[in-house]
Amino acid sequence: MTVANMFKEPGANPYRPWPARITSIIDLTEHEKLFELRIIDEKVREGFQFDSGQFVELSIFGVGEAPVSISSAPSKQGFIELCVRNAGDVTGALHAKKCGDVVGLRGPLGRGFPFAEMKGHDVLLVAGGLGIAPLKSLINHIHDDRHDFGTVTILYGARNPSEILFRYQFDMWKHRDDFNLILTVDEADESWSDEVGRVTALFDKIDIDPDNTYGAICGPPVMYRYVIDEMRKKDMDVDKIYMSFERRMKCGIGKCGHCGVGHQYACIDGPVFNYWEAMNLQEAI
Amino acid sequence: MFFRVMESSRLPDLVRGFAQDHEVIGPVAKDDRFVFATIDDPAELRLDYDTTLLPPKKLFFPAEDQLMRFRVADNEVLDDEVFAAPRVLFGVHPCDINALLLMDNIFLKDYVDPYYKARRDATLIVGISCVPSEECFCNAWGTDEAHWGFDIFLTDLGDRYFISVRSVKGAELLDDFVETREITDADTADFQRVTAERKEMFAEDLDTSQLPLLLDAKFDSPVWDALGERCLSCGACSMVCPTCYCFDVRDDLAPDQKTGTRSRLWDSCQFSEFSAVAHGQNFRDSRASRVKYRYYHKQWGYLSKFERVLCVGCGRCARACAANITPREVVSALAKGGFE
Repeated sequence: MTVANMFKEPGANPYRPWPARITSIIDLTEHEKLFELRIIDEKVREGFQFDSGQFVELSIFGVGEAPVSISSAPSKQGFIELCVRNAGDVTGALHAKKCGDVVGLRGPLGRGFPFAEMKGHDVLLVAGGLGIAPLKSLINHIHDDRHDFGTVTILYGARNPSEILFRYQFDMWKHRDDFNLILTVDEADESWSDEVGRVTALFDKIDIDPDNTYGAICGPPVMYRYVIDEMRKKDMDVDKIYMSFERRMKCGIGKCGHCGVGHQYACIDGPVFNYWEAMNLQEAI
Repeated sequence: MFFRVMESSRLPDLVRGFAQDHEVIGPVAKDDRFVFATIDDPAELRLDYDTTLLPPKKLFFPAEDQLMRFRVADNEVLDDEVFAAPRVLFGVHPCDINALLLMDNIFLKDYVDPYYKARRDATLIVGISCVPSEECFCNAWGTDEAHWGFDIFLTDLGDRYFISVRSVKGAELLDDFVETREITDADTADFQRVTAERKEMFAEDLDTSQLPLLLDAKFDSPVWDALGERCLSCGACSMVCPTCYCFDVRDDLAPDQKTGTRSRLWDSCQFSEFSAVAHGQNFRDSRASRVKYRYYHKQWGYLSKFERVLCVGCGRCARACAANITPREVVSALAKGGFE
């Protein structure tokens, strides 16, 4: 049984986190670290199957819980990677943890990207800042099934070179010809040899087959409107443009009400919505 | 459904009977208002109550509810057991019965909430017919009658109660503790008459027919700005609402900092931080946007999932609002495009 279903079993307590051990911590930038977690219970660990774009509630007793999207690919078994910015009480407490420490997880939660539906098509992924975290899961998943996809284009922008996440991986990927990867920063320094400017300016540099392309967007809330405009200028279909929303969450299971977006809840109806759905959600973008 | 008739004078026997194996909770007077509280003596019951300050939701989803005890060192749960003693909730009006059914959709579906479920499973519901007050608009949503969601329901016919029996447990307890008889045609005729007379007592009808559509079509209506100017963001409307279920979660450490408790507390979408995320982003930072969201979610968000609006017309929010904002006023202002 998958963990997602175990959570819904009669008698289960969907508020009770599973203990997970931190197995690796990588400093990505000044504010972001990549945590690798291993769920301690073997049965739960093996049942932890998820889709890219889904999230977990990270639970640190004594501090609280925070929703965090999963950065590793579903094909990576046994470990879960979370890319976390030190931005609040819970994420701050996580940043203070060391390898071997135990935290709690609830999940996988929410609706992710439609991976199966995307297969057989081109994919255009656009990330801004920390928005690369859930998209990295999707990118790695596509990577594992690369032969099932057409052209794969990744546009990733950050404020400056020091804020580019997963740079070690992208530096390697820049030399591959099966991923069209373009990095950009708002403000360059001497070390920077990639693009300079907004991520939306990169649309002039790419060719899209609009009838055959799925879009995936994640970034700061202000970014969505501009990226969608560019995708629409390229004639991409409204229901093939997918995006992930960040909202305040407490429970992650459709009860606490905090993540209401329009008439839906980001935690159970999203966090991934397509543009048609998002257009029908008041105040979504 | 089965029906029985009980002489009004037998009511105390019924309450005393329930009390043998159950905590009995019912409406009692508190100052000049009413509250649901534990009944020690049937004489305390005030079945003539108009409404209670807080709805029965407090008995299933308490204002502060401990979810689990934990140990900090290894992030382990020490205890998340839910203990719910058997009880009877005696004298619930149709609006509040319907409100619990709406709460069930949230707490008993998909991810079942074990805390709510344990208390729900342990509680028998005895409904009672009511007389509409000025604030009531349950008839606008069809929640003025309860067709299910109770074990037995008593309709007051003056000298006797017309009893609708919904559950096996309700039927058994009725048989065990009180003398009832089968209904006659005269009883049914009186029941119909009383029901029809009650329908006439409601204040002017509230036209809600286009409401979900209007909420979208008039999303930018100045009505919301005007309401935002008046709303105090106190959240009283949510606290007294029988269908508001939003909550916050809080961890409290014991003095030794080694263990603690995780609890949930009633929250309100009217509070300024309700939709705020890290980095100062707040998706509803104006009072107008929060007032609007409360209506939008109740009359459309919930409806889009469960085909019912998340309101039973009990009127508690109208009584509780320090700014005198009432659903009746909001709904008609939205339809008309302004206030009269």
